[in-house]
Amino acid sequence: MAKMTIDGKEHEFEDGMNLFEACAVARGENLPHFCYHPGLSIAGVCRMCQVEVEGMPKLMIACNSQVKDGMVVHTRNERVDGAVRQILNFHLLHHPVDCPVCDQAGECSLQDFYMANGLYEADVDIEDKIAKGKVKPIGEMVMLDAERCVLCARCTRFTTEITQTHEMGIFNRGDHSEIDVAPGKTLDNNYSLNTVDICPVGALTSRDFRFRRRVWWLSETDGICHGCATGCNMSIHHSEGIVYRTKPRDNMDVNRYWMCDHGRTLYHEIAESDRLTQPSVRKARGELAQTASWDHAYRSIEAAGKALGGDDAALMIILSPHATVEELYAAKSVLSDSVGGALLGYRLRGSEIGEGDELLFDADRTPNAAGAKKLGLAEYDAKQLEAAANEKTMLLVVGGDLALAAPDAGAALSKFGCVVYLGWQENSTSMLADIVLPTSHYAEREGTFVNREGRAQTFAAAIDAPGEARDPLRVIRELGALFGHEPTWDGIEAVRSELCAREGAFAAMAQGVGPLGLALDAAAESEVERA
Amino acid sequence: MPDITELLWALGKIGFMLAVILGTLPVMIWAERKGAAYIQDRSGPNRASIGGVFRLGGLIHPLADVFKLVFKEEIVPAGVNVFFYHLAPIIMMTVALSTFAVIPFGDVLLLGTREIPLLVANLNVGILYILAISSLTVYGTVLAGWSSNNKFAFLGGLRASAQMISYEINMGLAVLALILVYGSVRLNDMVVAQGDLLWGFIPAWGVVLQPVGFVLFLVALFAETNRNPFDLPEGESELVAGYHLEYSSLKFALFFMAEYCNMIVGAAVVSTLYFGGWQVPWLTTEGLRENAGTLLTVSLSVGTLLNLLFATGLWRKFQGERGTLGDRRELESGILAVVFLGLALATGGYLLVGKPWDIGPAASAHFATVMQIGQFITKTLLFSWVFIWVRWTLPRFRYDQLMRLGWQYMLPLALLNFVVTAAFVLFTHG
Amino acid sequence: MGYSVHGPKARTGGQGQGLLPKESLYLIEICKGLFITMRHLVRNVFHMGDMPTLQYPDEKPDYGPWLRGRHRLMKREDGSPRCVACQMCSTICPADCISIMAMDDDRPDVEKSPETFDIDLLRCVYCGLCVEACPCDAIRMDTGIFEIAADNRAAFQVDMDFLLNNTTDGVKS
Ligand code: SF4
Ligand code: SF4
Ligand code: SF4
Ligand code: SF4
Ligand code: FES
Repeated sequence: MAKMTIDGKEHEFEDGMNLFEACAVARGENLPHFCYHPGLSIAGVCRMCQVEVEGMPKLMIACNSQVKDGMVVHTRNERVDGAVRQILNFHLLHHPVDCPVCDQAGECSLQDFYMANGLYEADVDIEDKIAKGKVKPIGEMVMLDAERCVLCARCTRFTTEITQTHEMGIFNRGDHSEIDVAPGKTLDNNYSLNTVDICPVGALTSRDFRFRRRVWWLSETDGICHGCATGCNMSIHHSEGIVYRTKPRDNMDVNRYWMCDHGRTLYHEIAESDRLTQPSVRKARGELAQTASWDHAYRSIEAAGKALGGDDAALMIILSPHATVEELYAAKSVLSDSVGGALLGYRLRGSEIGEGDELLFDADRTPNAAGAKKLGLAEYDAKQLEAAANEKTMLLVVGGDLALAAPDAGAALSKFGCVVYLGWQENSTSMLADIVLPTSHYAEREGTFVNREGRAQTFAAAIDAPGEARDPLRVIRELGALFGHEPTWDGIEAVRSELCAREGAFAAMAQGVGPLGLALDAAAESEVERA
Repeated sequence: MPDITELLWALGKIGFMLAVILGTLPVMIWAERKGAAYIQDRSGPNRASIGGVFRLGGLIHPLADVFKLVFKEEIVPAGVNVFFYHLAPIIMMTVALSTFAVIPFGDVLLLGTREIPLLVANLNVGILYILAISSLTVYGTVLAGWSSNNKFAFLGGLRASAQMISYEINMGLAVLALILVYGSVRLNDMVVAQGDLLWGFIPAWGVVLQPVGFVLFLVALFAETNRNPFDLPEGESELVAGYHLEYSSLKFALFFMAEYCNMIVGAAVVSTLYFGGWQVPWLTTEGLRENAGTLLTVSLSVGTLLNLLFATGLWRKFQGERGTLGDRRELESGILAVVFLGLALATGGYLLVGKPWDIGPAASAHFATVMQIGQFITKTLLFSWVFIWVRWTLPRFRYDQLMRLGWQYMLPLALLNFVVTAAFVLFTHG
Repeated sequence: MGYSVHGPKARTGGQGQGLLPKESLYLIEICKGLFITMRHLVRNVFHMGDMPTLQYPDEKPDYGPWLRGRHRLMKREDGSPRCVACQMCSTICPADCISIMAMDDDRPDVEKSPETFDIDLLRCVYCGLCVEACPCDAIRMDTGIFEIAADNRAAFQVDMDFLLNNTTDGVKS
């Protein structure tokens, strides 16, 4: 333990702790900095984080120092402020200051530090500034403006250390130093947008988000990426009911500071034209489906049940690993246990598996397979489906697209007496269904996913669902009522507490999962240990 | 039994009276708006025009108002007492118009051998008739306020009745004193009596004989007509519009017109009682007839001069305005200048050719009548203007002040005035 | 003190409160008042031109160059909008009446430009903050147009085309 003084106050830190971190804790805010990033190695190139350490003749950069017993550090005094001002002036010397057209404006470190420490007149006329490459697309997702770069080398370190793809580099010397991609390369790895996140200025901007919304108008809501089984923590940036981008949310146990481009760009599906916004009903096989009201859709389900033979008719349910834990539980307990529908399973064996990588992207492209398993749900194969298919059975498909995963499964679908599909997107399965009930997207509802490591993570609703789309939980509840077994719960909180009480695997969730999620297995183990 | 010509004459006189009142109405409304504007340093209505040329300084606005009021939607609110609601404006207007019946607007008109008294009904209870009829106004306001089913209107009606009853007493006392002085209740007698001269040079007008009575009467008259500073029944700051709040379109127009009619009637009564009515000061009817030639010559000359003056003034305005407005309104002054020039030529021509100093006795009699009627109308208009003038000078009374003034100051003063007058009459004529 | 309607206080202190005996006679004061109003009337009748009233649609007031009139968008030399869609104006706007959609511009020297630029003039409070906020002098309120009237709401929703070609009639130089 190192006892030390920062800005006149005594603190105690772990020996060998980074001084930058220590100062951040002591001050309650970070030191001015460009190059330091907790997820990357130390570069120490921006010189913004200088502090005065008593006994040292010169100012020291905090990011490349460690705490030591008896250290006396000043982070705010005339000397330090003067030095930061000078460094900032130096960084801005050839900066184009095109904040009006720069997407970073509003979340730009340069702007922030200038407002906090700068506020001087420019030393170099705009005509005399050194011109560098502007508006250069260096990859599918990233736009480079070399003039705005402060040469912090975060992006180069990221491509060297994290993705190890080595696309970016700093070229030339002195004030002509310029960031660029290596000759013949483009920044096209699946993690390229992280460089945009870590770039402290507007040198790297997202081509996906570019000019779509000023950042100060965005609100943030905590979300969980549903792109794969990793379940990266993310923050949904939205404004006036429109999602504009998603960014990773730091979670050391899951995604650290990063997120893959695949997951980041998934939000586009929210506003795609293939969203289901109104229930639709098809009168007879082979005819086109007609949009209908919810009431009409429910009455059609009732009528279909009667036509299939009234009490003799059977109900079969197929769940999917795209549904949340709460929805899976509700469907299982209400539609299967109470109503008596046969549960075929939650996943067509082997479907939706792609190629993963070492970093984050998992081969399993579904967000909640682990959750389904913990609920005791099983996988099924196409043969089982085929065997179950018959004229007297109504099939309820909750989410997913099994027809796309296995075309022969699609063929089996048409052998059921009536197929009801519950989902938010039009797909091959919904096309085959007789009755389609539209539900909200993940960004439009609350829920819990269990990721590949057994970590339960909740997400909140960021925006409203479009059209008449309803929360799947509500639809399950209404279907239960339709079949004569209205559940006792109403709303997600009630479902959750029932889930925690009834399903042992989720008992630990009763105390809440917290913003960073809850590792269910570890929690269960410690519970056992304590007992 | 009045014969048929008599009846026709009566109808003619009624028609004349109506024409005078209804003709004066728009002028009064115009004077109210324009006068208010000038008093408040603004220019007032001046945009409505005929054919885009004639604006006549805003005189077209009352005309436009008429059309507006006629074509507005008639709204009868729910919950009104339909019969009384419709009756009230009729009462108001009828009362206002019928008061005029007993007011003389000239001495007798000589037609050959026929002598025609210039008033509609020469009642022997003239002044009492006026008091009686004008008191009926209160029914109009009270009924309007009550039948409208509106709290504000109801309060307005209540205020009106209390106020009118209070001030009627003062008015009556002031008139009583006058009756003592003139020894008659016939209005024409009173006017004739005011033709005398006091000490040989002051016209023996009511205002000279009864100065205190005049002030009392005038104040009471303001209260009776609900004009500012006593317009509490329609005090818009607290009652929105008072008793006529729920009236629209033509029914509102009736209230509106009745107010001005009352004003004109009031002005006519004041000038009749206190300012010699149709009497031209210092000139009796005989005097008028004898000096008709000279008077006509003088008035024609003055008329010619005035017309010339107007014509030149307007022409100058025409020259100055040219090119500033950019449309046909610029023509107005020019055309009016020509009209006045024509008038000047007509009067001047008659002066030169018609030998006005040498007119016959019959024409002299007619001239005298015209002069007297003109005199009456002039006085009436002047007093109507006083109503307007006061309205745009004084602020509105508070209700308690109004009552205190009526009962605590004016009533004792009126009684005192009456007693003193009675004593004076007793001792001088005794 | 307010006023009380009843009681001896009203009688002694209500009406003549604070008035000289001469003034509480009223009549003289009323006559004085009448003369004041008459003086105004006569003066105005004979010096009609001196009245401050403006014959509005015929005569227009000269508000000078500081008038904040209807907005216009400035053009570059090639006629395209000078605006770079930075949205400073819509950010500062207290009435929230400017809506801008930005787009990537292909021109080499222009990176970002507005795709749409709409102002809801019915919401605008003519505070001029948008003009102050603009870093490019792209929006101005110097047209001198202050008569902004129409008989339908849609006419107040002005778009980029309108704003770029908004006339400067009425600018008093
Ligand atoms: S990087 Fe920052 S300072 Fe530079 S133009 Fe962009 S917003 Fe402005
Ligand atoms: S592009 Fe951004 S992250 Fe990369 S060196 Fe420049 S400022 Fe740093
Ligand atoms: S003048 Fe004010 S209210 Fe109007 S658009 Fe500009 S900032 Fe908004
Ligand atoms: S502030 Fe100026 S440049 Fe920016 S969007 Fe508004 S008008 Fe355009
Ligand atoms: S943050 Fe320490 S030198 Fe850049």
